[in-house]
Order: sequence, then structure tokens, then C-alpha cells
Amino acid sequence: METLLTLNPLKPQPHFFKYPNSRTYTPVTNNNNCRGLFCPVSCKLSSQPSKDTTKNKVVVPGAAPSLSEDNEPPAVVESRSKNTAGVVVRRLSKRVLSFLANLPLALGEMFTIAGLMALGTAIDQGEKPEYYFQKYPEDNPILGFFTWRWILTLGFDHMFSSPVFLGTLVLLAASLMACTYTTQIPMVKVARRWSFLHSANTIRKLEFSDSLPKASIQDLGVILSGSGYEVFLKGPSLYAFKGLAGRFAPIGVHIALLLIMGGGTYSAIGSFKGSVTVPQGLNFVMGDVLGPNGFLSTPTEAFNTEVHVNRFYMDYYDSGEVSQFHTDLSLFDIDGKEVMRKTISVNDPLRYEGVTIYQTDWSISALQILKDDEGPYNLAVAPLTVNGDKKLYGSFLPVGNADSTNVKGISMLLRDLQSVVLYDEEGKFAGVRRPNSKLPIEINGTKIEIVDAIGSSGLDMKTDPGVPIVYAGFGALMLTTCISYLSHTQIWALQDGTTVVVGGKTNRAKIEFPDEMNRVLDRVPEINEPSDVICG
Amino acid sequence: MIFSTLEHILTHISFSIVSIVITLHFITLLGNETIKPYDSSEKGMIATFLCLTGLLMTRWIYSGHFPLSDLYESLIFLSWSFSLIHIVPYFKIRKNDLTTITASSTIFTQGFATSGLLNEIHKPTILVPALQSEWLIMHVSMMILSYAALLCGSLLSVALLVITFRKIFYSSKSNNLLNESFSFGEIQYKNERNKIFQKTSFFSDKNYYKAQFIQQLDYWSYRVISLGFIFLTIGILSGAVWANEAWGSYWSWDPKETWAFITWIVFAIYLHTRTKKNLQGANSAIVATLGFLIIWICYFGVNLLGIGLHSYGSFTLTYS
Repeated sequence: METLLTLNPLKPQPHFFKYPNSRTYTPVTNNNNCRGLFCPVSCKLSSQPSKDTTKNKVVVPGAAPSLSEDNEPPAVVESRSKNTAGVVVRRLSKRVLSFLANLPLALGEMFTIAGLMALGTAIDQGEKPEYYFQKYPEDNPILGFFTWRWILTLGFDHMFSSPVFLGTLVLLAASLMACTYTTQIPMVKVARRWSFLHSANTIRKLEFSDSLPKASIQDLGVILSGSGYEVFLKGPSLYAFKGLAGRFAPIGVHIALLLIMGGGTYSAIGSFKGSVTVPQGLNFVMGDVLGPNGFLSTPTEAFNTEVHVNRFYMDYYDSGEVSQFHTDLSLFDIDGKEVMRKTISVNDPLRYEGVTIYQTDWSISALQILKDDEGPYNLAVAPLTVNGDKKLYGSFLPVGNADSTNVKGISMLLRDLQSVVLYDEEGKFAGVRRPNSKLPIEINGTKIEIVDAIGSSGLDMKTDPGVPIVYAGFGALMLTTCISYLSHTQIWALQDGTTVVVGGKTNRAKIEFPDEMNRVLDRVPEINEPSDVICG
Repeated sequence: MIFSTLEHILTHISFSIVSIVITLHFITLLGNETIKPYDSSEKGMIATFLCLTGLLMTRWIYSGHFPLSDLYESLIFLSWSFSLIHIVPYFKIRKNDLTTITASSTIFTQGFATSGLLNEIHKPTILVPALQSEWLIMHVSMMILSYAALLCGSLLSVALLVITFRKIFYSSKSNNLLNESFSFGEIQYKNERNKIFQKTSFFSDKNYYKAQFIQQLDYWSYRVISLGFIFLTIGILSGAVWANEAWGSYWSWDPKETWAFITWIVFAIYLHTRTKKNLQGANSAIVATLGFLIIWICYFGVNLLGIGLHSYGSFTLTYS
């Protein structure tokens, strides 16, 4: 935030800044900068008590930065229109705006959102009410009062779409907009103005100040502009600044956040999604799978497209683990013409007319075998639940009388599409076969040959109109956050006889600033001949 | 075979160097400030940085993927980031206050990573299909770098709080009259918050340097945390874009995602408290301390649950 420059009460004030949230003092300079005869003293006193901030408004004339002279902010004029309702509305909106732009309120909202999110991770989301009855019973409440009634009435079981959470988010968005309008934009207008200081005492009172006993202000100007500053010289005084973008960037951050929130809202109310597991060789229509997510969701023409899974296959590491799984997809439009063909894998989706198909999962649907050289028969394969996250599928081929109560048969287990493990009628391990190896196996008199293992592809589909907005917000946020790291540095200088008095301040990089200034000032050449000053 | 011995050597070298550096730092802190131990400790940190870089490169070359696929590798990356943060200001500003904190953090994370607690996951493993993406490099490295920077900044704030409250506690004890002690403590507390030096006889040189040290800590903490905040923003957003490319949803309220967002919010609160001068100093340091705890919950606490999309980082503590 800005410093209120301490002014010499004896001289007329060249300019007068007044902002909301004004700071009233200057911190200490370090006292290692003794140059020549001058050793700046390192004590500063506070000058004015901080005023109530919400009543002061900065009214800045004009848009372009201009040399400013004595500038009293004109009083806020109440409109004398005959329409009293208009006056009331305007006054009300001003009050609402200043209420929303209050910083502690915004901080409180942010804290509330953080707390609600933490609660949302602690409480299991999306379960049936009976689950909450059991976990948070009324006869044994957590912390003495927290029971399932709290959770279900406040909507904490679906925290991230509950009215409490969304309401706080809306409030935060309103605060963001109010703050940008009332506080940040005027601050930027003021920071853009440049002004010259005409009194050496004023310069000496700045955060960092120094004197160069035998120097010329033009040399200083040249060196500063070589260091990346924008320099303005007017007679004996100089003004230079650098890093003004660091003042604009926080506005950009707020706008980017609003973009993201808006895009997210649009996504939440206007998107479609669905997931499907399709065995190899089968197909489905997009519109059957995609379900609407909100009230603004309208289906498009693309929903009539038919998706055909041509082939599903997996890659493996040498150790046997799954490395990647792929699906070869063909899209046919309503007339049966193939419009697109692509092989997708994880992290590589298919995009068609706003609909995106992602490869997210896989499964095994059937096992093709030859039994006693007859077939091929398709055996259904079912997933088996095992501890851990490794998948296991099984199938069963009954042998003998299939209608008897005690059916015996050959069991087959598969972990992936690479190999099948076979067990005989007693459950003893019989052998391992690879599909397509054409190697039969003899179990209890039956000759089995595994022809193929047919996988099925787990696909997720989505259409989301808010994504471009959200991506734009993301990019803007990344960029503006980086830029707001820049520190806005301002330097004033005055040629006082043969001495140049230099002073400066910066808003963020306060640690490096004295060192940087010293490096710059070290490079200003010392003038030994008095005639050099006249020549410049 | 060569790889594992090389990795072994590098790990142990970096661990021992950092322990030596830490001891040197404590000696300089407690004893006199002589230049020699300081200089050699700086060289030691540079050597540690090179060792850790070598360690990460060896793992990268051997396993074929960027070394950030599970908790062990992310811990090594974290200690590497700490040593990086230690070195970068060293080239711009010779002596700074960060050194003790970054050096200690490096050794603690490196020690934890190489300790016997996580022995079974030292070996490089293969990458599951979901992690085979270029986004892995950007997202995870940004997140770990941001954790390192934010942890450093929060530790500086913790140090600031400790020093501030120790001062108030001791000076309010050292007065005879009861009324005077109360108002003196109040004035001193206000001075801490306003950072004005009053020419009273109560203040000695030692207090001046201490107050200036507190101000230095405050500024360093602010700069480091704002840098870490930038990295955190980029990390979270790149994670969201990756999730959208891989699974179709840029935000699914996964526990890890939610806690990263909570961390982001807490540090945004920190940055906003610094805009108002009367909240600076102790208040913002309290927020930063809260942020410190939240980062640990986000990094380790969620992994202990082992659920959700980020289950790659989960581990079980075994005593082997």
C-alpha cells in the first residue's frame, strides 16, 4: 500500500495524496549510507494518526498521468435531481459497496470458505442419510453437539454444492467486485500520476535517501534509464519509476478470479457428462450416455453420433504391469458416414464438436475358447473383488451336467488380457495359457484352447461449455500473479547546487531496495571540475 | 547395479554434508560470528545442492521418467528445492537470514526420506498410465517448489512470533511498578507493531538490533511467501488443466485438491493482511504459522488417508 509522504510544514505542499487505508509513517532507513558529508539520520516519527478510511474517497481528475499541482479532492457531490428514489438508490448502493469492499469482511469470508472446505473433506460426502445416522449419532455427539441433524440440515453431505458454501462464494465474488471498483482502481490512478519533488528536505525524508556530493542529475537520469527505469527530468528535479505493472496486476488477479468463478458456474449449470463401459466390437449413441448436469444444459447435434469401439488393447511393461491402454474409436454420424477415427488412451482424449471422450478405465468382458475343438464359445467374464486395487476377473466353464445342484467345472482367472490361469474341477491349479497362442490344455479330459480375451473399454464422456472461459481465467490468473510480484519503485532526485539529493521508495522489494539503489548510485560519476556541471 | 550404488553414495554424501553444515551454523549462531565457518558452510550447501541434483538426475535416467512419481521421490525433490532456495539468494545478497532455516529444512526432509521408515519405496517404480503425461513435470514440480518456499516463509514468521513474544514477555517482567509494567508492555507491543523507534532510555542497542532483525524477518517472510504463492497458483492451475485433459473435470473436490485450495486461500489471506499497516507484524505472522500447519496437512495428512485421485503419494509406516 502507499505511503503518505511526510511533508515539510514550512514549504507549500507540491502534491497531496490521500487514499483509503492510508499509512501514516515511514519506516527506518538503514544508516550505512554515509556519502560525503551527509549521514542521514535514522529516526522518523509518525506524523498523522490514521483516519477512518471508508469516508475518504479519491476523486482523480482526468485519465492520463499529468503533472499534478495542489490537488484537493473535491467533495462528493450529492445529486440534486428531483427523483428522490434515484438518490436513495444511489446512496444505498454506495453503502452496500463500501460494506462489501471492507477488507476484514473479505478475510472473514475467505476464512469461512476455507473452514467449510476443510469440513467437507472431514465429513464423507454423498452418502445415504442412514450412513450419517450411524456415524454421527444423536446420543453420542462429537464435540458435544455435532450430530447428523447438523449435517443434513446444513447440507454438509453435499458440501460443495450446498447453499451455505455457494452462498459464501457468491458473497466473496461480490466483495471481489466491490473491492476492485472502490479500492484498486483509484489506487492505480493515483500511482500512475507522476510528480516532482522540489524540496531536498522532502526527499531526505523518504524511505531511502542519499546525497551525491559532486554529481549531475543528468548523469543520474542516464544511469537510471540504463537500469530499466522510466525517467522524467524537469529542470533540477527528476522522477523515475519502474515496475508499474506490479500495481495493475492485483486488479488482473481479481478479474481472473471472477472469470474462473463465472466459468465454473456456467460449467456447473450447462454441462453434460456420462460414463460407459463398452466391450470391444460394440457401439453406443452419445445421447444415450450423456446426462444433463444443470438447468441450462441443451443437447446439440453431436449427440446423435454413434461411437463404435473397433479395438481395445493394452501395453505392458516388462514386469507385466499395465503401462497404457488404448481404444480405437470410430464415430459415425446419423447417416452412417464415418466422421472421425482416433485411437485414444489415458491422457489423450478424443474431441468432436464439443464432446470429449476420455479413456479412464478398462475391463474384461468375455473369453473366447474352443472346447474339444468346438466353438468358439464366448464365456462371460466377471470382475472379482479382491483386497487392494489390483483387478481380477474370473470365468467358469461347467463340465458335465450343468443343471445339477453341485456343478463342477473349469475356473479361469485373468488379471489382464495377457494370460489366463486355469483351475480344474477340484480347484487345483492346472496351467497358464496365453490367448492366441494356439496351445491347448487338457483338464480332466476336456481340451480347452483359449482363442481370445475380449476387453471392454471404460470411457467417460463430457461436454462442457464453460471450459474456454475457465481456461482463460486460469491463464490470466497465472500471468497476473507472476506480474504482481514486481515491485513498484519510485525515485525522486533534486539538483541542489553541486549535490544531488536522491530518495526513493518501493512497495514490495524492501530488502533488496537499498542494495539496488547503492549499486545504481555507485555508478554515477563524480564530477571534479566545476565547469563540468555547467556543461552537463 | 551401478545406479543403486551411485544413488546410495549421493544420498549419504548429501546427508552428511548437510549435518555438518547445520552444526557449523549452530556454532556460529551460539558462538562468535567468524567468517571461516560461515564460508565453508556455504560451500557445503552448494555441495549438497549438487549432490541432490545428481541424485535426481540419476533416478531420472535410470527409471526413464521424471523423478516425481511417489512420496519418496517427492521428498527428495523437496529437500532439493530447499537447497535451491538456500542458494539463489546467496548469489544476490551475500548474507541473509534464510540460511539457518533452509539448511535445517533440507536436512530434516532428506533425513526423513532416507530414514528407515520408508525403506520399501526407495526403489524406482514404473509409472501408472494416469501419470504418463508431460503435465507431471510441470504440476508436481511447481507444487513441491511452492511447498518449499511457503514452508521457509512460514518458518520465518514463526521465528518472528517467537522473538516478538519473548521480548514482550521478558520486558514486561523486568519492571518494578505494576502500572508501569503494564503500560510499558503495551507501549512496547505497540512499538513492535508500528516499528517506530522512540528515544527513551528504556531501549538499548540490543533492543534496536533485535527490532531491526524482526523487521528483516518480516520482509523476508513476505517476499518468500509471495514467491511461493506464485508457484502454488501455477501448480494448482496446471493440475486442474491436467485433470481436465485426463479425466474431463478440472476440479473434482478431491481431498488433496481441496486442501491445496485451502492452503492457497490461507496464504492469500496472509498477503491481504499485509496491505493494511496496522495488521502487519504479529498478525500476519500468525496467519503464516497457520499456513505452515495447513501445508503439512495438505502434503502428508491427506496422503495418510490414501484415498482419492492422488493416492500415488500414500504410504504405510513400517518398522523394518
